[in-house]
Amino acid sequence: MQETVTTSALLDPSHSSVSTQDKSSTGGHTSSTGPQPSKPSITPVSAKSRNPHPGANFHRMRRIIAEDPEWSLAIVPLLTELCIQHIIRNFQNNPILKQMLPEHQQKVLNHLSPDLPLAVTANLIDNENYWLRCCMQRWPVCHVAHHGGSWKRMFFERHLENLLKHFIPGTTDPAVILDLLPLCRNYVRRVHVDQFLPPVQIPAQLRPGDQSDSGSEGEMEEPTVDHYQLGDLVAGLSHLEELDLVYDVKDCGMNFEWNLFLFTYRDCHSLAAAIKACHTLKIFKLTRSKVDDDKARIIIRSLLDHPVLEELDLSHNLIGDRGARGAAKLLNHSRLRVLNLANNQVRAPGAQSLAHALAHNTNLISLNLRLNCIEDEGGQALAHALQTNKCLTTLHLGGNELSEPTATLLSQVLAINTTLTSINLSCNHIGLDGGKQLLEGMSDNKTLLEFDLRLSDVAQESEYLIGQALYANREAARQRALNPSHFMSTITANGPENSVG
Amino acid sequence: MNPPGSLAGLDPNLDEHLSTQILAPSVHSDNPQERIQARRLRIAARLEARRREALGEYLDGKKESEEDQSKSYKQKEESRLKLAKLLLCGTELVTNIQVAIDIREIHRRVEEEEIKRQRIEKLENEVKTSQDKFDEITSKWEEGKQKRIPQELWEMLNTQQLHCAGLLEDKNKLISELQQELKTKDDQYVKDLKKQSDDICLLLERMEEQVKNVMKTFREELYNIEKAFEVERQELLASNKKKWERALQAHNAKELEYLTNRMKKVEDYEKQLNRQRIWDCEEYNTIKIKLEQDVQVQQLVLTRVPGWRSTWPTPVNVSCLATTCDILEILEQQLQQRKAIYQLNQEKLEYNLQVLKKRDEESTVIKSQQKRKINRLHDILNNLRSKYAKQIKQFQEENQSLTLDYKRLVLQFKELQKAMRHFALIDDEKFREIWLMNEEEAKDLIARAFDVDRIIHTHHLGLPWTAPDFWFLKNVGPISQQPQKSATQIVEEMLMHTEEEEAEEAASEPESYLDLPKQISEKTTKKILMLLCDESGFLIESKLLSLLLPLEQNECYLLRLDAIFSALGIESEDDLYKLVNFFLKYRAHRLSSSLQIKSCSQASMEKASMEETSMGSELELAEQTEMEGAKEESLVEGEKEEEEETPPSPWDIHPNDVLKILEAFVMGLKKPRDSRAPPRVQKNMRNNSKDSEYWQALTTVIPSSKQNLWDALYTALEKYHIVLTQRAKLLLENSSLEQRNTELQALLQQYLNSKINSELQVPPTQVLRVPTK
Repeated sequence: MQETVTTSALLDPSHSSVSTQDKSSTGGHTSSTGPQPSKPSITPVSAKSRNPHPGANFHRMRRIIAEDPEWSLAIVPLLTELCIQHIIRNFQNNPILKQMLPEHQQKVLNHLSPDLPLAVTANLIDNENYWLRCCMQRWPVCHVAHHGGSWKRMFFERHLENLLKHFIPGTTDPAVILDLLPLCRNYVRRVHVDQFLPPVQIPAQLRPGDQSDSGSEGEMEEPTVDHYQLGDLVAGLSHLEELDLVYDVKDCGMNFEWNLFLFTYRDCHSLAAAIKACHTLKIFKLTRSKVDDDKARIIIRSLLDHPVLEELDLSHNLIGDRGARGAAKLLNHSRLRVLNLANNQVRAPGAQSLAHALAHNTNLISLNLRLNCIEDEGGQALAHALQTNKCLTTLHLGGNELSEPTATLLSQVLAINTTLTSINLSCNHIGLDGGKQLLEGMSDNKTLLEFDLRLSDVAQESEYLIGQALYANREAARQRALNPSHFMSTITANGPENSVG
Repeated sequence: MNPPGSLAGLDPNLDEHLSTQILAPSVHSDNPQERIQARRLRIAARLEARRREALGEYLDGKKESEEDQSKSYKQKEESRLKLAKLLLCGTELVTNIQVAIDIREIHRRVEEEEIKRQRIEKLENEVKTSQDKFDEITSKWEEGKQKRIPQELWEMLNTQQLHCAGLLEDKNKLISELQQELKTKDDQYVKDLKKQSDDICLLLERMEEQVKNVMKTFREELYNIEKAFEVERQELLASNKKKWERALQAHNAKELEYLTNRMKKVEDYEKQLNRQRIWDCEEYNTIKIKLEQDVQVQQLVLTRVPGWRSTWPTPVNVSCLATTCDILEILEQQLQQRKAIYQLNQEKLEYNLQVLKKRDEESTVIKSQQKRKINRLHDILNNLRSKYAKQIKQFQEENQSLTLDYKRLVLQFKELQKAMRHFALIDDEKFREIWLMNEEEAKDLIARAFDVDRIIHTHHLGLPWTAPDFWFLKNVGPISQQPQKSATQIVEEMLMHTEEEEAEEAASEPESYLDLPKQISEKTTKKILMLLCDESGFLIESKLLSLLLPLEQNECYLLRLDAIFSALGIESEDDLYKLVNFFLKYRAHRLSSSLQIKSCSQASMEKASMEETSMGSELELAEQTEMEGAKEESLVEGEKEEEEETPPSPWDIHPNDVLKILEAFVMGLKKPRDSRAPPRVQKNMRNNSKDSEYWQALTTVIPSSKQNLWDALYTALEKYHIVLTQRAKLLLENSSLEQRNTELQALLQQYLNSKINSELQVPPTQVLRVPTK
């Protein structure tokens, strides 16, 4: 019944044209068709009279089809199409994907809504296109390159980051994060959180205190201001490789309170335990979190003899000589390749201990001591260490109150060392003579590619000449890279340098 | 010669290797000289290249590469350097801000430290002074306690108050100072914030600028590089085009030159032709005139009277005029005659024309008839063809069906044969069993008969009995001929035998004759075979020969002979002997022909036998072999005689003759072989002629004479039996009578001894005389 109606509907629009066509055609060859076909065409017949024998009159059928340019079988949706539509509509309740043919899978995935609950989609869908849509819908700016080129990974990492960022201990249900864990454990490799909110009571209490004055500070020390404990989460993520944490509060505005920025001992201990238990961790960053010597030592102690850790970043903290000593110990008890202690309070003793560790280290590739205060004593110690070290390629000593003695020793190092590719001595007081000595050392060096001497009181002439030498070295390195048969060692040295830079 | 040929060859290739092909000699050229030259050039070029490679790589290489490195390379290098510089400078520019901030921070820190130190110092000083002041005040309190005078006390209190106020003032001052400092710090902080935001803005600006710059320059450089490449390409294209055009021009010029050459040549030839033609024409004309003249003269001569010719030469001068007049007359006459003949001919021809026309008409009629006939015949032919095709089809079908039938029948026949063979086997078996059973029974009977006979002989006749020895008594199973041995087996046996013989020397010689049933001397046989073996090596496969090398001599001979026999088709013992006989006969024949003494008749006989062997069918074979065997015996004897006469007779067969003999033998053997198949079946049939004889013989184990004897014996014994029975009867009678007698005697005794007797007056005893016992 339905079919007849639809066909009649399909046929109807072509009526008038059919009749005209018939007239003309019958006029053209009446002998062949006779008067019969002309009858129905002249009288406005209902669809029924035509339908009983549509195949009987071949000519008429053909004409009808030819007349209606929009009529085609394609209008009728295929059964597979209908099924796929149905599956898409009911995907939340009945997710069917793996059983289908690849092309149908593709079709389904292209039409699935990105709002589906993660519990359904997380472990079922691997299609990047779907996750691309999910990401694009949630965030306007997406750098998939920061997440290993995988949209799915990006989605889960950013989703988790979002949850962690807005987690308020005590008020938010911890199940929110722990429920997500089984869904995202296989996809999250990097956790990057740049704010940890403190418990909510304190802001509530603080608000009146804030208005009154800073006199209530003493009281406020008392209640715990611990942040979210990462232990469970870190233990649950089986592929975690990078942990990038900042114990900080963003956009606090006028609610500013020193307490908001506290990295408590409990936080520190729990974090240390968490990273100690995580054996897949390769990169650990804890920056801008007011980590002092004691906390740094707690964390570093937990990292001793870690199996895979390669990069440790504790920049922009309050680490002093004791913390530096701990880091020096860590250097020879792990596979650390990159150590960043920029903008801390390391002085000469800390630098000396680092230099001592560095002298026989074979792992460390990059050391960053920018904006510390190691002064000449520390600088000399490091230079001595570099005379024996055969691994370090990048050294940043910018802003360390260094002066001529260090430069003298460094110039000797430059003549000997063949692994260093980048040295930064900017913002020091090298002085004119030191610059000359460095130039002398540079004249014997064939491997250094970068040597930053800006704002370090070096004569422009020597800086220019050093620049020329560096240029020559760079050209040589380029030639070597183009013809890799000559020096394999230099290329291996170049590789990490590039990645670090 | 060369240029046009090479040009023609080059034409299709011209587009590709224009310059090289035209200038350098080609390796594929038709001219050998040119090819040699081309190869030489190639070798020289290779050597040159190698030398240059070896020598001038270090020196020339760089120069060349620099020279070679085109604009694009230069442009690339330039751009690269420019971009590298740009990137370096840009990053420096951007990082400059960081560095500046760093150094500012350091300065700030230093200052801060200084200020902090000063502040702490100040605070400490302050603490110290205030402590002093406080101590002073507290010490004064003690003093004050001792003061009794109120004025003094008041004074002191006032001073104390002043002091305290001073102290407080100091402290307050300090506090305010610090607060001031804090305020300035706050301001500083705000300023710093502003500065930092400015710096960040600057940084962003610079970064953006840098990005823009870099993009711009990259684009520019890319454009430049592309342009350079384009220019280079254009140049290359232009230069190539130029080269190409130059080559094309050269080619065109050459072609033009060839064309002009050719045209010139053509013109030359034309001219030559014309000249030739004119010359020919002239010559022709002269010849024609001359000939005409000749003809005229000749005609003149011919028309003249035959006798005139002899007279003509001499009176030419004399009667020139007269003769011309004569000639004219004669000519007129002839003209008349000709005219008449012409008339006649015309009439004849007309008549002929008429006749021909008639004939033509007739022929057209006949033609049409024939055409019709042809059509009809065509129809018939077509019909016949169709019929023929139909028949072919029919016969093909028939043929197919028949072949199918035939195949089926053949299959059936084969099956039947199989069944028959099977049944034959079974029948044989059955026959044998029945035979055995019957034979056993018969043997039993015979044994019984013999037993009886023996008993009769020994017991009744008292003669010694000897068991008769008949041939058929030992026979067990159906009678059959001995299976024929194969030729190789015999040869093997023979060889083995001869070997032994050699070992035993002459001792076993007589025995050896017994081994051969056909009574041919083993030695001769062996020698013949050896000869055969040595001579007809070509019948053996070469592979086999190589395999035979390491074997023993005898084995070697055996295998060789086996191969030869298989090649010759010698299968059975008979064949082998036939062969040997053939050899012997041949030799005998040869001998006879050579000696021509006594073996003339023998030879003829042998010839006859040879013909017989060749002509005789297989059915006769058995007889023939027997016959031959008999003949051979005689033959061998004859041979022996011959041997005696001519000792090296077996060696008489010259090795060269062997092949001839073999050929003759094979020719002879071939015919019987053809008709071999049917008799073979018959061969399986055992001849039952001897069976009846056998069984008959079995029945006559006891000869008729013996039977007669038995019969006589039987009658006599019967008689004897009767006598004996009578006697026995009599004996019985006698014994019974005796018994009665004794009984009667006893009775008598009894009666005699009884009392009555005594009572009697006359005792019977007295009457009777009792016989004594």
